Amino acid sequence: MELDLIQDAFDRVSKKQKLSSSKTQQLVRQIEHEIEQAIMKMQSTENATSCPELKQILADLKNKLNEFSPMNQLETLQKDLNITLGKYVKVTEKSFNPDISKAYRNVDFDPHIVNQIIASHFYRQGLFDLGDCFISEANEPEAAALKTPFLEMYGILESMRRRNLELALNWASSHSEWLAQNGSNLELKLHQLQFVEILQNDSVQNALSYVRKHLAPNASAHKVEIPKLMGCLVWSGKLHKSPYADLLSPNHWEKLADEFMQQFCSCLGQSYQSPLSIAIAAGIHGLPTLLKLESVMAVKKQEWQAMKQLPVPIDLSKDFQFHSIFVCPVLREQGSDENPPMLMPCGHVLSKQSIVKLSKSSTRPFKCPYCPLEASVAQCRQLHF
Amino acid sequence: MDMAVDMAIDAAPNGDASAAAPAVAAAHTSTARLAQIAESLKLEHQLVRVPLEHLKKTIRSNYRLAEREFTAVLNSVAEASGSSDSRSMDETLTRLSSLVTRLQGLKRKLEEGGKVENVQVQRCRARLEHLGSVADADKLDDWKDARLNRILVDYLLRMSYYDSAKNLAETADIQELADIDVFFEAKRVIESLRNKDLAPALVWCAENKPRLKKSKSKLEFQLRLQEFIELVRANEHMKAIFYARRYLAPWAATNMKEMQRVVTTLAFRHNTECSIYKVLFEPTQWDYLVEQFKQEFCRLFGMTNEPLLNIYLQAGLTALKTPLCYKEACSKEDPLSQEGFRKLAEPLPFSKLHHSKLVCYISKKPMDHENPPLVLPNGHVYSTKALEEMSRQNDGRITCPRTGEVCNFTELVKAFIS
Repeated sequence: MELDLIQDAFDRVSKKQKLSSSKTQQLVRQIEHEIEQAIMKMQSTENATSCPELKQILADLKNKLNEFSPMNQLETLQKDLNITLGKYVKVTEKSFNPDISKAYRNVDFDPHIVNQIIASHFYRQGLFDLGDCFISEANEPEAAALKTPFLEMYGILESMRRRNLELALNWASSHSEWLAQNGSNLELKLHQLQFVEILQNDSVQNALSYVRKHLAPNASAHKVEIPKLMGCLVWSGKLHKSPYADLLSPNHWEKLADEFMQQFCSCLGQSYQSPLSIAIAAGIHGLPTLLKLESVMAVKKQEWQAMKQLPVPIDLSKDFQFHSIFVCPVLREQGSDENPPMLMPCGHVLSKQSIVKLSKSSTRPFKCPYCPLEASVAQCRQLHF
Repeated sequence: MDMAVDMAIDAAPNGDASAAAPAVAAAHTSTARLAQIAESLKLEHQLVRVPLEHLKKTIRSNYRLAEREFTAVLNSVAEASGSSDSRSMDETLTRLSSLVTRLQGLKRKLEEGGKVENVQVQRCRARLEHLGSVADADKLDDWKDARLNRILVDYLLRMSYYDSAKNLAETADIQELADIDVFFEAKRVIESLRNKDLAPALVWCAENKPRLKKSKSKLEFQLRLQEFIELVRANEHMKAIFYARRYLAPWAATNMKEMQRVVTTLAFRHNTECSIYKVLFEPTQWDYLVEQFKQEFCRLFGMTNEPLLNIYLQAGLTALKTPLCYKEACSKEDPLSQEGFRKLAEPLPFSKLHHSKLVCYISKKPMDHENPPLVLPNGHVYSTKALEEMSRQNDGRITCPRTGEVCNFTELVKAFIS
C-alpha cells in the first residue's frame, strides 16, 4: 500500500479546500466593498433625490458585479475542489478494499451472545465502569455476573502493584492443590518475593520466622530455594551487593503478576488472552483470503452461505494454533476418529484410509509413498496427537 | 513511511522432512508478517472514507450557503437597478445597507464553516497518519489494541450505545479515530423514529436528496408510507388521501405494488385482523424504519452495512473452526472452547488445512522441523523439546501425561510429518 501516494492526494485536497475557502471569503469582501462604494457615492451626491444619478450608481454597481461575476468564480472554485476530492476518492478506492462485507454470511449472529462476549471482554480488561455502562445500555443485566471473578483478579493485581502480597498468597494457598496439579509453583514464588520484602523492609527475625512458617513445612519440595533464601539472611541490609541481588529486581513483580493472572484465568477455565481479541485478530488475518475467495469463486449467495468447509486454507500464524490437525499427505483429508493417522515403520505418517487403499488387502505389504521401505498394515501403529 | 510490500499468501508448510535453514525461515516469517500487516491495512477503507464524506458534506453545505446568499444579493441589486419607477434614495440606501449586513452575516457563517472544515481535514489527516504509524515496530501492540477498540466503538455506535462508545473512545484514547460525531447526527433521527416522529427523518432525506436519489434509495418513500398509515390509524381518511396524492404518487411508477398494499389499508381499519394489513399497523414497522435509516446512513458515509465487529468475528471464527474445537479436550486458550463462541460459529464453515499443523500436548508449542514430533510406544506423540526436558528431569524416563505409561527416552521414534 503506497501510503505516500494517498497522503499526497490528500495534501492536494487540503490545499484546494483552503484556497476555495479563502477565495470565497475574498469574493464576499469584494461584493461588500462594491456595495459600500455605491452607498458612499449615493451619500455624497449633492442632489439627494436625483433619479438619474441614483440609477447611474446602481447601474454601475450592477455592471461592476457582473464584471467580476462572483457566481461564476464560486462555481469554478467548487468544481475544482470537487475534481480534487473525486481524485482522492478514486485513490482510496484503489488502495483499499472498498467493501469488506462482501464475504459476510447472513447467518444469525445472536446479539445477546455478542453482548455477553463484549461485556466479558471489558470486565477481563479491568474496565469495570465501561462494562457496567455497556450492560445497562445493552440491557443485559445477567451479564453482571461475569464481573465477579475479574473483580477479584484485579483486586489482587492492584494490591500486588502496591507491593502487598497478602491477597495473592491467600488465593494461592486456597488453590494450592489445583496449582500443584497443573505444575505451577506460583505459591513458592510468592513466598520468595514476600520473604525478600520482609528482609528489606522489616527485620531479619521476621524474615526467618516467615521461612519457618511457610516454607519449612514443605521443605522437601523446595530443596533448591530454601538454602538460597537462607543465604540472603547473611547479606540482609546489603542485599544489592550480594550474589542474590537479582532478587531485588522489580521485574519479578511484573512477571509474577503475569503468572498469577495466567493461573487465575486457567483456574477459571478461561484463556489468558481475551478470547474476543484472539478471534478478532484471527479475523483480521483471515479476512483478506476470504474476500479473495468470494470474488474468485463468483458463487451465488446460497452456495456461499451453505458452505460447510472452506475450499482454501487460511494461513494463521503459530499464535492461533490450538489443536493438532493432521492432514494426510496422500488424500489431503483431515484426520478424524474414524480415519486416524498411522505411523509406518519407516517413520512416515499416513491416514488409515490411505494405508488401506495402498495395501489393497490387509496382508500384503505395500511401499511407502515417500521412501523405498515396505510395510504391512499390521506393522502400522495408530498415533495420538 | 513507504509501505509498498509484495504479498505472499502461501506460507511454507511446517514439519517438512526436508528441513529449511532456520535463518531463511526467520526472514520468511518477518516478511510474511509485514505482508500480513500490509494486507490488513487494505481493510481500513471505512476509517479513511467516513471523515472524508463528512468533510464533503460540510464543503457542500458551505457552498450552498454562499451560493444562496450571492444569488439573493445579486438579484436584489439587479432588481434595484432595473426597476423603472423612481425610488427614493433612502429606500435604496436601506436596501443596500441590508445587503451589506447580509454579506457580513455570510462572512461570519463562512468563517465558522471554514473552521469546521479545517477540523475535518485534520481528522482525515490524522487517520492517514495513524495508518502509517503501523510501521513503528515498538508500538505495534498498541496499534493492534487500538484497532480492536476501534472495532468495538464502531459496534457500540451502530447499536446506539452512545455512552459506552464515548467511554471506550476516551479510555482507549482513540477519539480522533472514532466517528462519534457522525453517529450523533444519526442519533437524533433514530431517537425520533423510536418516538414515532417522522419529521427529522424526512428532513434528513431532504438534506441528502441528490445522493439518495443516485443510490436509488426508497427510504423517503417508506417514511411517507408510514405517515400515511398513521393518518389511517387516526381515522383521518380524507387527509390520508390528499397525503397520498401529494407524497406517494411520485413514487408510484417504481413502487406500485407496495403503494397499493399500503393504500388499501384505507379499506380496513387500524385494528383489522386481516394479517397482510395488520402487520402494517404493528409497532415493529418503526423498528424496520430505524434499520432502513441506519443502512442508508451508513451507505452514504462509506461505512460497511454490517458492524466491523461482526465482519471480523465471523472471519475469525471460520478461520479458527475445526472439529476438534467442539470436543471436551479443547484447549481453553482457544476462543472456541467457550460456549458463546461455539454457538456463534455453528452455522459457519470449517477452516481447511492443506498441511498438517501439530501442537505439543505438553508444551503447547508447535511441532515442526525445529521441534519434531516423537512417538511413544503407546502411540502418543509429543514434541522433542518437551520430551527431552522431561527426560532430563527424570533420569531418562518418560511418563505419558495422558495415560501414565512409563518408558525410556531411548524407546522413542521419530515421525516424519509433512
